[in-house]
Amino acid sequence: MKPFSYVRPADAGAAIQAAAAGGARFLAGGTTLIDLMRLEVMSPTALVDLGRLPLAAIERHGDGLRIGAMARNTDVAHHALVAERYPLLAQALLAGASQQVRNMATVGGNLLQRTRCPYFRDLAVPCNKRAPGSGCSALEGYTRSHAILGTSASCIATHPSDMCVALAALDAVVHTRRAGRERAIPFAELHTLPGDHPEIEHVLEQGELITHVELPPSPFAAHARYVKVRDRAAFAFALVSAAVGLDVADGRIRAARIALGGVATRPWRSVEAEQVLVGQAPGRAVFERAAAAALVDPKPRRDNAFKVALAQRTIVRALELAWGTP
Amino acid sequence: MTRPLVGTGIDRVDGRKKVTGGATYAAEVQVANVTHAVIVGSTIGRGRITAIETRAAEAAPGVLAVLTHHNAPRFPGVTAKAEANDRVVQGLQDDAVLYHDQPIAVVVADTLERAQHAAALVTAEYDAAAAVADVEADLAAAFVAETARGPAQISRGDVAAGLAAAKTRIEATYTTPVETHNPMEPHATIAVWHGADQLTLYDSTQAIFNVRRRLSAMLGLAPENVRVINHFVGGGFGSKGAPWSHVLLAAIAAKATGRAVKLAITRPQAQSLVGHRPKTVQKLELAADARGQLTAIRHDAVSETSRFDQFIESCTAVTRMLYACPSVATVQRLVRLDVPTPTFTRAPGESTGTFALESALDELAQAAGIDPLELRRRNHADRDPETGKPWSSKSLLECYRRVADGVDWARRSPRTRATRDGRWLIGFGCATTTRPSRQLPASARARIGRDGRAIVQAGTQDIGTGTYTIMTQIAGDALALPIGDVRFELGDTALPEAPPSVGSFTAASTGPAVHNACVALRQALIERAIHDPASPLHGLGADAIEAEDGALIARGDRKRRDGYAAIVARSGQPEISVELHTEAHKDRDTYSVSGFGAIAARVRVDEELGEVRLDRLVGAFAAGRILNPKTARSQLIGGMVWGIGQALHEHSVRDPRTARMVTRDLADYHVPVHADVPDLDVVLVPEDDPHVNELGVKGLGELSTPGVAAAIANAIYHATGNRVRDLPITPDKLMSSAPR
Amino acid sequence: MRATRMPIAVGMVAPSFILHGDARPLASSECRGRPWVLAFARRWTPEADAGPIRAQLRGLGAILFVVSDTGVWSFRPDDDVELSAAPSKRLRAELAELAERFGVDAGDDGVFVIDGDGIVRFAQAPSEQLAQTLADALDAAGRELLGLPPRPGITRRDWAVMSLVAGFGLVLFHGCRPPGPERPAPAPIAANAGSEIDIVLRVNGQDRRLRIDARVSLLDALRERLALTGTRKGCDHGQCGACTVLSDGRAVNACLTLAVAAEGTEITTIEGLARGEQLHPVQAEFITHDAFQCGYCTSGQILSAVALLHEGRAKTDDEVRQQMSGNLCRCGAYPNIIAAIQAARKDVAS
Repeated sequence: MKPFSYVRPADAGAAIQAAAAGGARFLAGGTTLIDLMRLEVMSPTALVDLGRLPLAAIERHGDGLRIGAMARNTDVAHHALVAERYPLLAQALLAGASQQVRNMATVGGNLLQRTRCPYFRDLAVPCNKRAPGSGCSALEGYTRSHAILGTSASCIATHPSDMCVALAALDAVVHTRRAGRERAIPFAELHTLPGDHPEIEHVLEQGELITHVELPPSPFAAHARYVKVRDRAAFAFALVSAAVGLDVADGRIRAARIALGGVATRPWRSVEAEQVLVGQAPGRAVFERAAAAALVDPKPRRDNAFKVALAQRTIVRALELAWGTP
Repeated sequence: MTRPLVGTGIDRVDGRKKVTGGATYAAEVQVANVTHAVIVGSTIGRGRITAIETRAAEAAPGVLAVLTHHNAPRFPGVTAKAEANDRVVQGLQDDAVLYHDQPIAVVVADTLERAQHAAALVTAEYDAAAAVADVEADLAAAFVAETARGPAQISRGDVAAGLAAAKTRIEATYTTPVETHNPMEPHATIAVWHGADQLTLYDSTQAIFNVRRRLSAMLGLAPENVRVINHFVGGGFGSKGAPWSHVLLAAIAAKATGRAVKLAITRPQAQSLVGHRPKTVQKLELAADARGQLTAIRHDAVSETSRFDQFIESCTAVTRMLYACPSVATVQRLVRLDVPTPTFTRAPGESTGTFALESALDELAQAAGIDPLELRRRNHADRDPETGKPWSSKSLLECYRRVADGVDWARRSPRTRATRDGRWLIGFGCATTTRPSRQLPASARARIGRDGRAIVQAGTQDIGTGTYTIMTQIAGDALALPIGDVRFELGDTALPEAPPSVGSFTAASTGPAVHNACVALRQALIERAIHDPASPLHGLGADAIEAEDGALIARGDRKRRDGYAAIVARSGQPEISVELHTEAHKDRDTYSVSGFGAIAARVRVDEELGEVRLDRLVGAFAAGRILNPKTARSQLIGGMVWGIGQALHEHSVRDPRTARMVTRDLADYHVPVHADVPDLDVVLVPEDDPHVNELGVKGLGELSTPGVAAAIANAIYHATGNRVRDLPITPDKLMSSAPR
Repeated sequence: MRATRMPIAVGMVAPSFILHGDARPLASSECRGRPWVLAFARRWTPEADAGPIRAQLRGLGAILFVVSDTGVWSFRPDDDVELSAAPSKRLRAELAELAERFGVDAGDDGVFVIDGDGIVRFAQAPSEQLAQTLADALDAAGRELLGLPPRPGITRRDWAVMSLVAGFGLVLFHGCRPPGPERPAPAPIAANAGSEIDIVLRVNGQDRRLRIDARVSLLDALRERLALTGTRKGCDHGQCGACTVLSDGRAVNACLTLAVAAEGTEITTIEGLARGEQLHPVQAEFITHDAFQCGYCTSGQILSAVALLHEGRAKTDDEVRQQMSGNLCRCGAYPNIIAAIQAARKDVAS
């Protein structure tokens, strides 16, 4: 770990000020940042510790919900309002990591979770995300965990978050503050595709503090499911995950949400698949058609071709469970 | 009489230390003014170092030394290898790079954080050559190994005729991946020099005397000038059996800096610097007559080794002895790769060999239309087919019966894909397991002090197997002392020499040594008493004396009694002590000695998503006398969990282009977690075996791993009709051919 | 109280709950960061003293739950008093379980005050029923929290309200954001790279002063600076759980926690779990069930298990396996660990 200056600010304003300089990073739960700093994959010059700031509240916000950026995954997952109105989010959070990591990891930090690509984590090999322009070791390497959607010639690293897959399906809005300016970023606009610049992963600027995430009222609570397929029964990143929600009235699907994890370079919502479902009666056949529509032009590599079929099957399974098919 | 301790499932005597944090592992020994060393690894897989840049590291705060092949002290003995099981290590002696992550520098600093950061500042340039990492990429280069725990190549009977005459015949190739031990405690050494030629090593090792022998040879010291101490070991599974480079580097760094040095390897380094189970490619041909009686077996195993050292994964050892078959041919071949040297990994040979053999047997049963468990019964070997000797004891048929009951085998349909529960397909599978029992020479010392309590000592190790506990039980019985009056000490080369804690032979080797030393001490006490006029037992014959609860008693006259404390007190000495060396039991020449067992699994497979869940996993094991059913059961459960990992999870991956390890941590190298392991059923089938040793114990630390992967793979086949011959069985392998 | 059960005691993590009332679910999780009071007052109704109590609670941001024969009353600072009536079987069962987990026998009363970190700060199961007035019970809480005798000249009811408020002010903001005076917020810091920082770590109830590099993890601070080596380093990346400690009662990875960032939290390590010679029930059951072999993962397993049992969510073997999956055991002691945890459940009030 490289030396860094440490700032424990008195309030959010001081935090934003302290993080304005290039090279500074906010420290939230630390489960990504400290991990990567120890590898020297990330080497901030300054850490601004948010741990003592009052950003952890989880509150009703009209008919929706407002989740503070420093709310811990455990607290969000077990919050009564989340369990009742956004079960998809609770399921996704509880499918992730370990008891310990969920107790530490925050909503704000999880939004910016970084990839688990093994080449990204190994300083001895090229990686465009870690060292822009150095090349991608994954393209012709061991690609079992890598993305098949949203990839580029520079990067095929998978976005690893479970929480983000649910937030993508729940139309979350991310609220930030920076130097007196506040903005609300629709979830779909938060993460960027790797393109030629995989080192850029989101639209936030230096020193821009995530204050909270807002969830609009959700019509999907009754029919929502997060399904995660992984190599062991717990404490593993997704090979494929699917977050789905159905709003069904009079036997027809009024609205649907489908998002994928483990297969894409960013949390992946498939509007195409959702549109297949709208207006249809729920059932295996239409679920399969939606699943097929979700995988537009996948780009499998040597070791991850199975993800195309697995992603489709996972969507179908999630839809069946959401709808209540036995 | 007090109840015997041996055979009783008492709690571990070191349990309290382990649940309160009081057990002290190697890196936790409090050594004054200790410094911290960090290894810098190579970033090529084969070649030479042309330049190494250390100035930034040397200038970093707190740095005491940066050692490379330019400035490290030279030790001509480093590359020498005295025994086949020694490993050639790398100690900054030259510019050669033999594998990725090989130590090329060591940084010593006053704090760990400073050493870690300075290590990251060291850079190197190389003259790199292409590196080959996969045994399958170079199969044509395979050569027949010299030995493979017995002959590398055997042929008995007429295999060609046996294959030709068969009613049923199968042929298949099985592959098992590189697995990495990953004990929870990363390997660590604290090196402390006392003057120029005395060295103390606190080392996480399964073999303190191996470390002493190897390090003294490498460093040019007399063995007695190296002391190795190790009271608790956080697991080893074979990876701590031979000292690796880091032990030498800690000693070198301590020498170079004149300071005590602590060197704990990182988890990524644990994937490359301390051995692994090699990948194997195994071709099996089996043939059987109409009854399912085996007529021929051919087993051709290829495994990887390094370019600079040799390790053979003895897959065929089990094939040579497990089933009655007139014609058997086996061969072990090796492929040299640009990888670190593989080594023994829990149940080496058997765990990989039984996956192939027991999968093949299942395929044969399917082809012959015979129940797979019945097929195994029909081919039961009543004598050791390899040596022709009788078994000292063998309860395999009883083990088959017990696992069949445990998993409700009678409910198994002869057809595949026959049982469904909602989304799940359900299948049954079984396999046989075996491990040879060995007894190595061992010494032990037993002492009675003036308090009448015993201290019993042997230079063995407790790697989690319960050595502290079972040796205390053995000593307590032999000395007729309650458990609280015996203290067993281990983990120090200042104690009498005992063998490594490997190969499941501690109970069967050090156990008899402890027993014999304690019996001899009891005899010494008796001799003193009957010849001492001050003793109430004076004048009695030795065989008229018995021992009970810390005292000697005249047989038939309980009032004539002489306490151990009194005997020692009258001796004028602080203690009475006996040290004894024990060799292997004489009957071991006459009999073949092995533990046997059976595994049965009931699995459910969601073939749409490729997920496997274990419904039941039952193992029945016979390994002679069970010293402590509680710790024995724990070891057997642990071995089965290793089998689960082998079947479903574990797989070290090297980059196909560079030979660099890709799975560098515990997030990428999957070992089973709680959620993967159901409640396991373990049946202990007792055996009374007078031929193995004085205690009748065979050892069982590795018996329960072989067979588990095959039983699970066979159950998956039975559930789905999908035969997976390449471990581990991950979701992608099950869904690839699954119907939608 | 059953003799076998370890009663809820001050300093423990309060059991969590979700109650499915007729209005909306009530859950302890919504109190995270806030003090709350749980009162079992079987024959209480709000008419008597709800007004003044609620007004004070509102000022404090605390939440009060009262379990009575009618159902469960909830007082939130910004809401009206809500009654979730208990005609539903589900809620009745949940309330019975809640009482059981707090060690309150059916029909008995009790008062528990929980701080913002979910730690029990006051617990009392009165010998007599709280009956008509909750204020009497709150009086006891307030007095004890303040460590003062009742003052003359103030009616008992007024005193209860005042003392409760004062008590909150003193100790209940422990763990709240921002923290109250008893647990002062670690002061703002701005330390340059390479310089060392003076911190105070609260470990196993003791303040330990350290001057450290900001890079030092909590794990290395414990192992290399404080000689508390019972917390193990298995991977240093949050992937094995060997370094698990309790931070304000919750299981966390010490390897992913900077020591400087742990200032102001209550750290419990394996060395702090036993009370003198008396092992914690989880420790004792680990020995009985042989829930370890090499022992290297054991500290982490035990601390995760303690947190799990106090939180009380995971109950079935499968739930416990899921929740414990962040603690790897390479010796494969898993079945014995699960057995030990389930056996300890009866001894840990949860």
